[in-house]
Amino acid sequence: MITAAILSATQTMLLGVTATSAVVPEVIEVVPGSLAGSLSSYLVVSGILFLLGLATILTRRNALYVLMGTELILNAANINFVAFSRFGGYGIDGQMMALVVVMLAAAEAAVALAIVLRVFHDFGTIDITRTDSLRN
Amino acid sequence: MDFMFVCFATIAVLGGLVMAFHKSIVHSAFSLVATLFGVAGLYWTMGADFLGGLQVLLYVGGVTVLLLFAVMLTTRDSMRLAVVRYAFWAPLAVGGIAVCLLRAYQGVGTTIAAKDVVLATPTPTTERIGNLLIDRTGYLLTFEVVAVLLLLVLIGAVTVARRGEESTP
Repeated sequence: MITAAILSATQTMLLGVTATSAVVPEVIEVVPGSLAGSLSSYLVVSGILFLLGLATILTRRNALYVLMGTELILNAANINFVAFSRFGGYGIDGQMMALVVVMLAAAEAAVALAIVLRVFHDFGTIDITRTDSLRN
Repeated sequence: MDFMFVCFATIAVLGGLVMAFHKSIVHSAFSLVATLFGVAGLYWTMGADFLGGLQVLLYVGGVTVLLLFAVMLTTRDSMRLAVVRYAFWAPLAVGGIAVCLLRAYQGVGTTIAAKDVVLATPTPTTERIGNLLIDRTGYLLTFEVVAVLLLLVLIGAVTVARRGEESTP
């Protein structure tokens, strides 16, 4: 929501219009004790995915594994966006942010894989511990 | 709905586990497909149907194919490099996951019960998302910025990946 607020402020400055929040009133019903109806279950899944992505990034030497871990972390953040937006009553604002993150992740994957191919061509390896030309 | 949540969450977490700790990078890439599909299913259980479809299209169909192509193009290296670098991080990750599960066990039915809500009738979100994307007071600026960024990425990826003789060190 902070990002959405920043974007709204930027829009107000650039377009000269006052951004209104896109909150749409929802028909909601309380389901206590339900897994799919509680915020905490989604947060737990998201936390587990984040930890697995972090472990992948920290433990692997292959640059492609680092990319895969990044994708996993971005997905964990996306789950948080959608879950907080839904269970906090913010309409589909979180889904819009997740949409933007998915697009950025696709773009990031394209550029990062191009860089990986370039590194493989120049260094002959994609070992992230051996591509250290700038050291010393 | 609970059953669907458990199914998709299990797919996502198991895929993530295999991706993080399997030796073969091809197996890891394919289990990443399972994880991303599980996340798409989690979107669906939250009523985000368009986002789930987009996840399947872009991630499962696009990013993973890119990853597999990169694996194939760098294959003589990536097979050998699949070994784990710092083995002591793995217990930390497992411990963190255990803490998450413990908190979940403690929190079932008790925590933040006032905010635990579901949609009574899940409505399609595609029309609302489309209207917000072309709305001046919505996300039009974001939409345009992403469009410019995608163009930059298109040009940049081609420029970086092209084999130029002048840029070899």
